[in-house]
Amino acid sequence: MVGIAGTGIVGITGWSTYVPRLRLDRRLINQAWGTAQLAGTRAVANYDEDALTMATEAVRALLGENGGSVRGLYFASASAPYWEKQIAAVIATACDLPRRLFTADYSGSARAGTAALIAALRAAQAGAADDAVVAAADVRVGSPESELEGLLGDAAAAVRVGTEQVAAEFIDAESIAEEFTYLWRIDSDRYVQAQPGRFSSQFGYARDLSEAIGALLERNRLSPKDISKLALYSPDARAASDLAKSMGFDPKTQLTPSLVPTIGCAGSAEAFLQLAAVLEGAKPGDWVIVGSFGEGADALLFRVTDAIAQAQPASRLREWIDAGVPLASYERYLKFRRIVEGDEPTEAIANVLEFKELKQDVRLYGSRCRSCGMVQFPIARVCLKCRGRELEDHRLARRGGVFTFTVDHLIANIEHPLIMSVIDLDGGGRIYLQTTDVAADAVQVGTRVTLTFRRLHEGGGNHNYFWKARPVRVRGDA
Amino acid sequence: MKDRVAVVGVGCTKFGDLFDKSYEDLICDAAFAAYDDAKIDPQEINASYLGTYLPGPNGGKAAVSLGDALRLYDRPITRVENYCATGTDAFRNGCLAIESGAADIVLVLGAEKLKDRGGRGLPRLGHPLLAKGNSAPGLFALAANRYMHTFGMGRETLAKVAVKNHFNGARNPKAHLQMEVTEEQVLKAPMIASPFGLFDCCPTTDGAAAAILCRADLAKRFRDDFILVKGYGLAVTTGRPYFDPTFDYLGFRSTQMAAQQAYKMAGIEASDIDFAEVHDCFTWTEISNTEDLGFCKKGEGGRLVDEGRTRLDGDIPINPSGGLKSFGHPIGASGVRMIYECVEQLRGQCGERQVRAPELGLAHNVGGPGAVSCVVILGNN
Repeated sequence: MVGIAGTGIVGITGWSTYVPRLRLDRRLINQAWGTAQLAGTRAVANYDEDALTMATEAVRALLGENGGSVRGLYFASASAPYWEKQIAAVIATACDLPRRLFTADYSGSARAGTAALIAALRAAQAGAADDAVVAAADVRVGSPESELEGLLGDAAAAVRVGTEQVAAEFIDAESIAEEFTYLWRIDSDRYVQAQPGRFSSQFGYARDLSEAIGALLERNRLSPKDISKLALYSPDARAASDLAKSMGFDPKTQLTPSLVPTIGCAGSAEAFLQLAAVLEGAKPGDWVIVGSFGEGADALLFRVTDAIAQAQPASRLREWIDAGVPLASYERYLKFRRIVEGDEPTEAIANVLEFKELKQDVRLYGSRCRSCGMVQFPIARVCLKCRGRELEDHRLARRGGVFTFTVDHLIANIEHPLIMSVIDLDGGGRIYLQTTDVAADAVQVGTRVTLTFRRLHEGGGNHNYFWKARPVRVRGDA
Repeated sequence: MKDRVAVVGVGCTKFGDLFDKSYEDLICDAAFAAYDDAKIDPQEINASYLGTYLPGPNGGKAAVSLGDALRLYDRPITRVENYCATGTDAFRNGCLAIESGAADIVLVLGAEKLKDRGGRGLPRLGHPLLAKGNSAPGLFALAANRYMHTFGMGRETLAKVAVKNHFNGARNPKAHLQMEVTEEQVLKAPMIASPFGLFDCCPTTDGAAAAILCRADLAKRFRDDFILVKGYGLAVTTGRPYFDPTFDYLGFRSTQMAAQQAYKMAGIEASDIDFAEVHDCFTWTEISNTEDLGFCKKGEGGRLVDEGRTRLDGDIPINPSGGLKSFGHPIGASGVRMIYECVEQLRGQCGERQVRAPELGLAHNVGGPGAVSCVVILGNN
């Protein structure tokens, strides 16, 4: 099924994952409400994280300094921080991608991720875009005390689609469209609702997804035993396993372990996380099926190539999962999601200022002096060191070391205390940033940090994003 | 410009949580105290400088805030704002007016009403993204942590500054915090911004202070024990030191430059100064300032404190008034209040906290942090 205008095969050329640092032990929810929750933990986006910022982490980890050739960016989420404002364009700008770029947001259900992936793959097959990134992220919130609250988990992942160095060749895809209300959220509500139980998984999830997978197998003359691994979205801890068994797959060997015990059900990102887990252990020749559900189902078929070894990401999903640390209390989770009001600073950012300083504040450029070489931030008109006027725009490195810091207990913030750090960036330039994802006693002079795009504060009816620093968490952390 | 301007009257309100006083009340209390001290008819004043950092809903905006409070009309009044150096810079501008011949008699008044704002400390200002999350203690703490990392100084030395300044402030009826503290209390106090605990920080304070300046040859008309302006200096460096890769965070160049200007004008060296009112918004700031002002070498300020040399009975008493730490820091008022203390010390009127027969006193502010510093040297002969 090689694309009409394509010269070679089309498929996955790279991937990355991002799991936020904090884990909420579900026993804390039990203690708060006396309700029965699943065992294990769920990943919790920090108070300054949302689907936009986590997707940005995943895209940056995938592209690094190498985003220049990307021609498309798709963002998929069921919990985007805006109803009207395109998230993909914000991510592209924060990742300093070129302006000449196709961007689109996909939303509405956990199937948004695979929908975007299919669109990117079909576009590449058609020769329309030979290099694109699909990022999926979700920070879904179940109402306090509900089972869903503990089941859902926050995470992001990104998949790069292209025609060069293809690690998993795209063979075929099948989709089913059907109205079936399983997980939903009406436009005026913040909490996801679910119709739980066997009825939903059997007549919604299992019926639609097995129909898609079955059609995919049949058309490609494959049987379940030919498939090396399934990478399936699962709305609960066992639905994917039940589905696999009912279709004649062996859940033990053909299904990657559920993420529910560690991360939780990660919405749009879940099928991508499962795919990452599969590809991180795949061998050339492996057949992989990716499947996802939501008002119908998507199933995609891939064949792993020899390029799989070179395509492995700098940091693997397992490392992100293992790098989690416990959230101190359930009440903090309520604050992080603004269910309980925190000490939140609000400040509006004028649209004109945002427009004027986009390169500096979002793309994160400073200046470099052509005379003396000094790299400086913010963008300067006269050199700080030699007072020369020959300055050029300079892309700042996203990593550095702490020159000095303070742990501030006074300043208004949802999370206390607030750590502020002065960071000498690799390759020059110094920046002063809020420091996040870190215990109060963990920052010292010399601590290595990576910069991360976060929700800085609210104001003017807007989310205001800016860079923060966070300690390097895993190998290859961008 | 040495010896061309005299201070013939000073006034100062009680500093503190002045919830029952308005901005206008503070201006009037300070100004009339200074009028009485100089025994001057206010109508003789040719020009005025009002120092206020934060314009509030009830005053501190422009010249009219002073003019309307004192009904001082039909003459030039200028509002001065220069971060925490606002008060000393207002005084410096008063000197310039007299030295230029534009005025013979000038009123300099610093006033600040911080307690009417509620909330914590100072309001958030500036760019909506860059440097967000900074607080006044947090900014100075950045420097303190780097300094302590570099020179290996501990929090015990910081605590000694607080103990000393509270001791002095307890002997000053106008000070905001008139109680002594122990080193242990300082070290065990709640953290504000590491390494600063509660007692490492100056309080948020209301207050006002005033000075009447005149041409030195007219001073005898008002009093015999007038005080002469020996020198002053002001220098500006970046207001964003945290974005400056060349900044070492071990002290403030603006203070070093302003002090050099003032010493040069006065024709003296740092060692000639008998006592100093130094900007101790935080305990570390006092230590670093004593170095930047040249009272010791860089890195030795902590030893000066540990050896007790900055106490009232030391060889270089620092902040005999109690300093910002104990007297309080209503930003625009502080510099003028320091000049008030210098004048009283040089006149020998300070009672229990009087330093030994001083001839030269120095007042210094730094704000920003480090963005702007102003130094004034006063003498009694």
